Amino acid sequence: MKCEDYKQWLPDWHMGRLGNAEKEELEQHLNSCDICREALAATALVLDNISGLPDPTPSAQMAVNFRGMLDDFKAAEKQPAATNDFWSRLKRSWASQPRFPLAYCLMILLIFDCMVYWFSRNSEQEKEVQELHAQVHELKQTMMLAMLDNPLASERLKAVNYTGEMKRVDHNVIVALLATLNNDPNDNVRLSTLEALARLANNPEVRTGLIQSITKQDSPIIQLAIADVMLKLQVKGSISAFKQLLKQKGLDENVRDKVKETITKLI
Amino acid sequence: MLLVKAGDVERMGLLFERHHRALFAFLFHLTQRREASEDMVQTVFYRMLKYRNSFAEGSNFSGWMYHIARNVLKDQKFGSDGKYDPISAHEERISGGALADEELEKTQSHQQLYKAMELLSSDDREILILNRMKELKYSEISMIMGITEGAARIRVFRAVEELKKIFIKKGIKSGNE
Repeated sequence: MKCEDYKQWLPDWHMGRLGNAEKEELEQHLNSCDICREALAATALVLDNISGLPDPTPSAQMAVNFRGMLDDFKAAEKQPAATNDFWSRLKRSWASQPRFPLAYCLMILLIFDCMVYWFSRNSEQEKEVQELHAQVHELKQTMMLAMLDNPLASERLKAVNYTGEMKRVDHNVIVALLATLNNDPNDNVRLSTLEALARLANNPEVRTGLIQSITKQDSPIIQLAIADVMLKLQVKGSISAFKQLLKQKGLDENVRDKVKETITKLI
Repeated sequence: MLLVKAGDVERMGLLFERHHRALFAFLFHLTQRREASEDMVQTVFYRMLKYRNSFAEGSNFSGWMYHIARNVLKDQKFGSDGKYDPISAHEERISGGALADEELEKTQSHQQLYKAMELLSSDDREILILNRMKELKYSEISMIMGITEGAARIRVFRAVEELKKIFIKKGIKSGNE
C-alpha cells in the first residue's frame, strides 16, 4: 500500500473508527513514514477542532414544547382512530378488487361497441341517403313531365330548364323532351328544349330524335338552331334530313342558305 | 421506536429524552442558530411521529432521525431565498442566543472554525458533524447520507482534506487554546 492509501485511514484512526487489523497496519506505517505522521497531525488538528466545538445545551423550553406537541399529536390521533379503522378496511376491500383490469376491459369493450355502432350507422345512413336521392330524382322527373303539359309557356320553359340540373336523364324524359321539341306551340320553349337536348347529344336516342325533328320544324329560328347544333355535333346522319328540308316549299331564304352551308360543311 | 410505530406514541417521549441533545447539537453546529435549531428539533420529532410507519424494522433509530433532520434542514435552508445565509446566522449569534451561551462566548476560535466550515459544501459539512459523534457508526452515517459505507469513508477523508487546505489558507494553527 502507498502513503495515499494510508492517508485515507487517518481520519478514521483518529476517531477510533478503524478495525484492529487496519489499525495495526497503519500504526506500523506511521512509525516508518514521516510524511504520513505530518499528515496525521494536520488531520488531528482539524478533527480535534471539530470535536472541540462545545455542544450547546438546549433550552428547557424545547422539552416543554415537545411535550405539548406530543400531547396534541396523541389527541389528534385518537379522534380519527375509530373512523380510521373503518376507512382503512373500506380502502383495503376496494383495493383487493381487480378494479384496474376490469376497468380496462370495460373501456375497450365500450370503445369497440362505439366503433361498431358508428360504422354500421354510417353505412345505413349512406344507404338511406342514396335511397333518398333516388326518390328526389324520381320526384323531379315526374314533376318535370307534369310541368311540360302545363298550358303556360313559362312553366314549360321551367320544366325544360330543370333537365339541365338533372344528373341522369332516362328514356321517359328524352321522349317527353323530343315530343316538346316537335309539338310545342311556343318557339321559345322549343328553342330551350333544343338546347337541353343538345346537351344530352351523347345519347344515340337523342341524336336520331333530333335528326327526325329537322323536317318537322316550321319556324325559321328553330331550323337555324338545329342546323347549328348539327354542325357543332358533326352529325353526318342529318344530311339527308337537311336535303329533304331544302325541298320544302316556302322555306326561308336565310334558312336555305344556312342549311346549304351546313350540308357542305358536314360533308 | 418499534413500540411507537405499533401505536405507543407515549414512548416517543423516551426517545426525545435520549436523543434530542445530540440532534440539537447536530443542527446547531450546521446552522449556528439556536432558535432555528430548536424549532427544527421539534419538526424532526413531529415528522417521526407522523411518518412512524415508514420506520423499517431492524433499522437504526439515530440513523433515521438524522436522515429526517437532513431533510428538514434542506427544507428550511433559512429564508425564502433557499440559501443558507451566514450573515443572518452571524447576526443572531451576536445579538441573541449565542451570547447567552457562556461556552461559546469564551473563544473566538470556534467562530473561526464555523466560518471555515461554511466554505465547505453542505454535504461535507454534514458528514464532518456526523463523524464527530462517536456513537454513530459508519453504517449509520452512510445510511443518513444515502450513500455506501465506502463512499462515506472517502467523503469524510475528502472533507477533512478540504478543511485542512482552508485551515492553511486562513492560518489556523490550533483551535482550542
